[in-house]
Amino acid sequence: MTTTVWLILAIILLIAIFVPRVGLLAIYKTYRTTQEREQVEDALKHLLDREQHGRQASPESLTGALSLQRGQVIRLIEDMETQGLLESRGVNLFLTTEGERWAMHVVRAHRLWERYLTDEARMPLEKVHGESERREHSLTDAQLDDLDAALGHPTRDPHGDPIPTRGGTLLKEEGMPLTAWQSEGPVRIVHLEDEPALAFEQILAAGLRLGQTIRILDRNPQRYLLTDGETEYRLAPAVAANVSVAALPESEIARASSIPLAELTYNQKAEIVVLDEAVQGFTRRRFLDLGLTPGTVIYPELKNFFGDPRAYRVRGTLIALRKDQAAQIWVKPV
Amino acid sequence: MEANEILAKAESLRNDLSTGFRDEIVKSLYTEAENIAKRAVKGATDKKYDFDQKVDRLVTSPYAGLPIMLGLLGIIIWLTVSGANVASNAIAFVLFGIGDWGRALFNQIGMPWWITGFIWDGVYLGLAWVISVMLPPMMIFFPAFTFLEDLGYLPRVAFNLDWMFKKTGAHGKQSLTMAMGFGCNAAGVIATRVIDSPRERLIAILTNNFVPCNGRFPTLIMLATVFVAASFPPALTSFVAAGTVVGVVLIGVAFTFLASWVLSKTVLKGEASAFTLELPPYRRPNVSRILYTSIIDRTIFVLWRAMQTAAPAGAIIWILANIHLGDTNLARAIADWLNPFGLLLGLDGVILLAYIIAIPANEIVVPTMMMVYMGAGMMVNGPSSNSAIFDLLVNGNGWTMLTAVNLMLFALLHNPCATTIMTIYKETKSLKWATLSVVMTLGTAFVVTFFTASIARLLGWV
Repeated sequence: MTTTVWLILAIILLIAIFVPRVGLLAIYKTYRTTQEREQVEDALKHLLDREQHGRQASPESLTGALSLQRGQVIRLIEDMETQGLLESRGVNLFLTTEGERWAMHVVRAHRLWERYLTDEARMPLEKVHGESERREHSLTDAQLDDLDAALGHPTRDPHGDPIPTRGGTLLKEEGMPLTAWQSEGPVRIVHLEDEPALAFEQILAAGLRLGQTIRILDRNPQRYLLTDGETEYRLAPAVAANVSVAALPESEIARASSIPLAELTYNQKAEIVVLDEAVQGFTRRRFLDLGLTPGTVIYPELKNFFGDPRAYRVRGTLIALRKDQAAQIWVKPV
Repeated sequence: MEANEILAKAESLRNDLSTGFRDEIVKSLYTEAENIAKRAVKGATDKKYDFDQKVDRLVTSPYAGLPIMLGLLGIIIWLTVSGANVASNAIAFVLFGIGDWGRALFNQIGMPWWITGFIWDGVYLGLAWVISVMLPPMMIFFPAFTFLEDLGYLPRVAFNLDWMFKKTGAHGKQSLTMAMGFGCNAAGVIATRVIDSPRERLIAILTNNFVPCNGRFPTLIMLATVFVAASFPPALTSFVAAGTVVGVVLIGVAFTFLASWVLSKTVLKGEASAFTLELPPYRRPNVSRILYTSIIDRTIFVLWRAMQTAAPAGAIIWILANIHLGDTNLARAIADWLNPFGLLLGLDGVILLAYIIAIPANEIVVPTMMMVYMGAGMMVNGPSSNSAIFDLLVNGNGWTMLTAVNLMLFALLHNPCATTIMTIYKETKSLKWATLSVVMTLGTAFVVTFFTASIARLLGWV
């Protein structure tokens, strides 16, 4: 009697462990494979990043970047060498063509995810990077193509970094660090470095965002003083080095005399100049669908008793927008 | 050219596009559309435009806006409750008559008692009850609601109330889906399709159940009349009862905001999506379209789903009431077993049993409770006078004021009915959100009733 019970229990246990795909062993194997793949991909990303910044990668730098034990890293490097992903020459590590192709794939996945999370899922900007780190390892090339097409083939991620194409071509990073910019006059923020996270959070906390037009008021070893015409921003030089700027493009100069839609007074007619750079994806499509295209005449017609939202007359229809949305549409009073 | 070459060419050209090329495409589409419209469409007269503007100023003004809104909502609910009462009695008279006739027929041809009972006192009675209680309010509420929708008034309500929803991370249009929820929560969940941003739509779906639907109104009205209004002079009874129900509804609205806020700070964390709301010009309502959308799309749809779940529920109720264990039946035995937990929440075992059985349709909560309290073999209406109901519940079954208050709260906050859960699953296509909608509401109901019961006991009120 008891023997039968034990036998049945043992059989159940064996099945639970060894059954394909859903068994404990299979689950553990999948977990290990995923973990290994993630380590390999993180290592590839680190090497690519070093290469692009003209610095050498070594087992030491890799240990720091992956926060692993030194022994684990050595084993990882050996594995990757047998797979033909990297070569070590002396103390330095180099990507092979195959390794670079794979690294580009991961970078592309990461930046497309960032674009998706910001534009479509509308996740707060400071969380996007971490979430993408988790998601970048799971997609195939074909799935990335679909994501790319669904997002409308974006060229840059929300931090301004270029997104590689499927073939692995990468636009050159434009702009230079704020600390290296010398000439006078307004500049545009073209990139906010999201690593280290602490500096990125300080940039966001100061209120700076991508695509913003700013002017450098003052610089000294203690701090940088910037302005967008209304608000003043203060940054420590170490943080300012993570903000890249470039000269203003033509369209921005057209925007110079415009004001946000939210600042119009009642029945003051204005013409839409441009939708803010920060508005992308879902929100931008929605605005365009409603006919909020450049050149359209618009004016506030109706207010809520709390002043927000307001309803605007545009192309004969009445459309209500909240204040933060109306602040992203630039208009010129006519 | 080969397909791949074309793709490669497109790829290489894409880099030279200016960032705003999509804006330019849409702009050119609009320019073209404008040209066509200029040739083919004659503009509305200034007179119509001025009129619309005057109405808009009135319904969104600080002093008139809110009273107009509450007034209209009050009128619709009053019309629904009072009108439905008459129609419900008429339908019940006919359907229950058919039931009596069927039972008599079965007895005549010598069917065993349990077949007759199962079919006519179980399945059929469940169906008849749900139809007679559910159909009339929906037939009144949905057309009235669709009338306001067709008129163009409802978007103005969303416009007026958006500031509150914005604070809780939700969308102004949620006010409309909540209003729809008074008619039926399943219809309210479907109505969330008007909210175009996914995050805000999920908030509206998950919190819709905190608005009591008209299947739950009978319970609230009964309790308000028997327990609250009874201690007031007869002249005031109906006002006090109505006031109590309004109070419960307001508690529900408060919970909606609280739940929306918590959701948007936790599982549905994210930036506020684009709030865009079109305020269409006022139109003369189209009667045939109103009748079509409200009767076919909403009433029949909801009723059909409810009937699918009400028939098995009727069968289960009959079985529970007619399987005897010694000198008590199964329903009573389960209720006794649930009693300690029920008392902990300031309710009792019978109420919990009624709510478990009534998952398919909340309309049958009161008849099921009455059945168990009176020891009947099928769902019954209960005593006909308010004082007799009071006597049955308080003297016969140990109810207190706490039981009545907590039952009202439980009726307001508990899990959605099966139809609504099914609808949530269909609308979100996710088991996760459907489960969360149940866990969240049921959890809230347990916590709140336990809390009020503990406080009442601590202060020695009961």
